[in-house]
Amino acid sequence: MSDQVLGMKCTSCGTVSYPKHAVCPNCRQETFEAVAIGGEGKVLTYTDVYALAIDYETRYLRLAMAELDDGIRVTGHLLADDPKLGMRIRTEIGTVREPGDKPIQGLQFHPI
Amino acid sequence: MKPVYIAGAGMTRFGRSEWPLMQLASGASTAALKHANLGEIPVDGVVVANMGAARVNKQTALGSALVDQLALYPATAESVENGPASGASAFKVGVQAIAAGMADVVLVTGVERMRVVNGLEGTDFVASLSHPEAEYIYGVTLPSLAGMFTRLVMDRFGVERKHLAMVAIKNHEHGAMNPYAHIQQTVTMDGILTLPEAAVNNPPIAEPLHLFDCCPVSDGAASLVLVSEAVAGKLGGPKVRVAGIGQATDTHTVHEREDPTDLKSVRLAAGMAFDRAGLAPSDVDVAELHDAFTILEIAESEASGFFPRGEGHLALERGETKLSGTLPINPSGGLKAKGHPVGATGVAQLVELVWQLRGECDARQVKDAVVAYACNFGGFGNNVVASVLQREA
Repeated sequence: MSDQVLGMKCTSCGTVSYPKHAVCPNCRQETFEAVAIGGEGKVLTYTDVYALAIDYETRYLRLAMAELDDGIRVTGHLLADDPKLGMRIRTEIGTVREPGDKPIQGLQFHPI
Repeated sequence: MKPVYIAGAGMTRFGRSEWPLMQLASGASTAALKHANLGEIPVDGVVVANMGAARVNKQTALGSALVDQLALYPATAESVENGPASGASAFKVGVQAIAAGMADVVLVTGVERMRVVNGLEGTDFVASLSHPEAEYIYGVTLPSLAGMFTRLVMDRFGVERKHLAMVAIKNHEHGAMNPYAHIQQTVTMDGILTLPEAAVNNPPIAEPLHLFDCCPVSDGAASLVLVSEAVAGKLGGPKVRVAGIGQATDTHTVHEREDPTDLKSVRLAAGMAFDRAGLAPSDVDVAELHDAFTILEIAESEASGFFPRGEGHLALERGETKLSGTLPINPSGGLKAKGHPVGATGVAQLVELVWQLRGECDARQVKDAVVAYACNFGGFGNNVVASVLQREA
């Protein structure tokens, strides 16, 4: 299991994209270096979703989109008891889905 | 480009169906073919729209299967899978064949039979259109994307839950007049929002969206018969022309969009459709918008060009989008009441508009409708097809 979430940094124009694309959305070059995505930022929006997909046994999931301080936006699990738009968070890597006995690691947002 | 006309439209009632997949498809198709009254004129091609049959019905190559059901050999056959925009995409494929002079008659049928699997499996199959690494692994489902979108729109533009409820109430009123609708009952503000019982009647699905903000999961099929100008001339009867189609895509993940509240793909697709039609949003008499979630009707009514940004809910409040208003939206009941068999939806929107333009909608008829518009919203806005139809005198 990967212990980090990776985006890509274009070696030509320096744009960081997440998720990765085969071609840089900014300059259309095709060479990249992997960069870890994460850090501090703020909650852009969130929801408690009860209409769940397979692989979850909880009643609902608290999902959020966050904008990190480096400008990168991400989607992940919001682990906050009292969520608010614009609240400050930091990312951690944790289990976000468990199909069968194979946990998948991804971004979790913790309040600062 | 040669002109293209819609000579026939038909559908099955949407809802939970005991009919197998291909019976749904052939039921809608035969209704549309009868409506077109082709006589001895052969069908040159068949295009089938569907999203989930490979997974939920264990069936593929639906175009060939429908040709066989209808004994239309050796007609050409295609299947189009384009997420929730499959229906209007298949329509576009059929229109292109006639516009290019490669066919004179094309049958376009959208079909979905998704109630055969349980709710979790059904939600998961639709969620598989999200980004596999940046969305799906987190348990992202379409309701969750809509919930996050709604919270942002509410915060920025002053949309309230009562506005969402107004969309539901209006569309259920319309749906109650549509014998093809999945849900043919009206709902009230008291029942879904105001009274204490509303908390039980209308539980949260993806906050701030509740049950009555979400379309039902439906089985069903819808079908159109497209014809060339030469065939339309032979058939006589009301002439509904495909005035313009537009389509636009956007980033796969919602979070990567510059402004996640901006339905840019709707704006671009609508602009292209109106340009090609030589018409403007103000020319439209009736519209079918993709209200899989109530918020989407409001947002699409703005992005399609009917109302300024951030003012769709105000037009709704003023009653402008009711059947009796200046721009009736979703006279069919929309996805909200009519139902949402995913691959059939884009075709069903156009079926309603053809019936409206021909004056065949009885109680829910929009008076003297000449120009009609449909928005078929794929993904969560990453692939949108907009269509403009026009009745010729």
